[in-house]
Amino acid sequence: MTISAKSISLELGGKKILDNISMDVRPGEILSIIGPNGAGKTSLLNVLSGNIKSHNGNVSYNNTPLESISIQERAYIRSVMSQFQSIAFDYSVEDILQMGWLDHSHKDIKEDLSAFQNRVIKECDMENLIHQKFNTLSGGEQRRVHFARTLLQLWQPANTKDQNYLLLDEPFSNLDLVHKVKMMESIKAKASSGTGILMILHDLNLAYSFSNKILLLKNGRVIEQGETKKMLSARLLARAYETFISIDENPINIRYY
Amino acid sequence: MESIRKLSFQTSQFLSFVSKNQILLMSLLFVSMIFFSLLAITFGSYGLSIVDFLLGKTSDIQNTVLTEIRLPRVILSGLAGASLGISGAALQGLFRNPLADPGLIGVSAGAALGATLMIVLGGDIFSQYSLGVFFIPLAAIAGSSLVILMLYFMTKGFGYEGVTYMLLVGIAINAIAGVGIGILTYISSDSELRSLTFWTMGSFGGVTWPLLIPVILIIALAIIIMIPYSRQLDLLQLGEPEAFRLGVDVQKLKYTIILTCAASVGASVALSGMIGFVGLIVPHLTRLLGGVNHNYVLPGSALMGAALMIIADLIARIIIQPAELPIGLITSAIGSPFFLWLIFKIKKL
Repeated sequence: MTISAKSISLELGGKKILDNISMDVRPGEILSIIGPNGAGKTSLLNVLSGNIKSHNGNVSYNNTPLESISIQERAYIRSVMSQFQSIAFDYSVEDILQMGWLDHSHKDIKEDLSAFQNRVIKECDMENLIHQKFNTLSGGEQRRVHFARTLLQLWQPANTKDQNYLLLDEPFSNLDLVHKVKMMESIKAKASSGTGILMILHDLNLAYSFSNKILLLKNGRVIEQGETKKMLSARLLARAYETFISIDENPINIRYY
Repeated sequence: MESIRKLSFQTSQFLSFVSKNQILLMSLLFVSMIFFSLLAITFGSYGLSIVDFLLGKTSDIQNTVLTEIRLPRVILSGLAGASLGISGAALQGLFRNPLADPGLIGVSAGAALGATLMIVLGGDIFSQYSLGVFFIPLAAIAGSSLVILMLYFMTKGFGYEGVTYMLLVGIAINAIAGVGIGILTYISSDSELRSLTFWTMGSFGGVTWPLLIPVILIIALAIIIMIPYSRQLDLLQLGEPEAFRLGVDVQKLKYTIILTCAASVGASVALSGMIGFVGLIVPHLTRLLGGVNHNYVLPGSALMGAALMIIADLIARIIIQPAELPIGLITSAIGSPFFLWLIFKIKKL
């Protein structure tokens, strides 16, 4: 029961983007991908989500090869939050959230989804946004709405418990500190309920402070991956980012609750 | 996978994304469409009474005028309005661009060129085959499909950068088709071909049942196929990768919308010529009234387009009696300033 990638390689326009990558996203685990710009982090996420087909290797979800899962069926087992384009029409925030509603063909689905949506709105602190037009929101607020939508996409009726996954590309960009912490809490809660989580992060402090595992990517290759503690090496990071890096244990610690 | 569910966007028996307000609005639009139809059948250069007709108190001439002239004309105007309205809405959704309109991007012009070519080159074949009445609409559909497919490839699958490009291609196609239709109407002595004004300004006059029935079938089919894709058009607004992640088969969605729009626009242009700006204004009015989600905007635009076109044709018929205004003159008079305003508004955003 994992997302499992085996020897993935990807070339775009003659350039090697990903080179022989093998990795797993396990249930209940938070895996963060870090690495310098152009390392291939987003491409890796797109291959895992099925948006881009890798040239070699294969991706499987819960032991089923990705190609043999239909486009529709994939929507139930993984949701993705990535960088977004602007939206041409004046959808309300609620409309955007409802785009995450999948049809589960059971009788009280509308009530169940509405109830779950209200909980998510509260959890993400969005009560004041819900009736606004999406296009009038700030960049950070728009990201929070999209995050809430990806949570809604993973909703399951009480009688089903399929293993699902949440893939996040830079979820915290543009967020203020309070909402960053709130989103982190949501992600942690999602992980402890069994969802497997993969994140692309640029902030190394964030990545190390709340992921179970780290994958360090550079030039399309995995430099090292493993438990967060084992990955905490200044030499390793210096090799990836080609700059001097030092690690201190939190000299100043500002906490937000 | 142990449990394979089928994600359906279409037959969601428990989930619907249309609000009560929107259902009410659509019912109102439907009622006004029926009301305008009755008005349009009653009024004109020759006064008729539907009540008398139903009671059988009308003369033979009155019956003929009603069933062979007035009724087909009202049905055609409603159909053309519905097809242009819903196609405009669907294309705007597909291109993710509120400026898309079957007329502006050259789809109507492609259809008109296809139809005129068929009339001139086809000669007598219409009368020789039983399905001959389908030939002109099919040629028009071929023309409109060609234009949409060309747009599709030139903008690399309606990619985000293709917005300006698409409108420029539309200008070019409109010009090319205009020349083609102009030459054909002047060199041909064929009485079937009608005038240049008919093709460029449109008219609902002179339509007969044998020509109308295939067009009714084609447009009805296109609309029936198109409406269940509403939810997927909504999801597409998040961007193609996002729509894919939410389970939308983006390629299939694109081809379906392209073909159904080409079919409904082509079929209506074949009988009524090019009527500008309807596909632009109608979806915008529909959104202004009741919201932007396509579950409402697609059917709403069809109803609104039909209602407006029926009343516009009535005005065109009675305003300068006994002569008739070209219908396209009315729609363009309202539509072109609206288009300017829209450009202005989008630029400010």
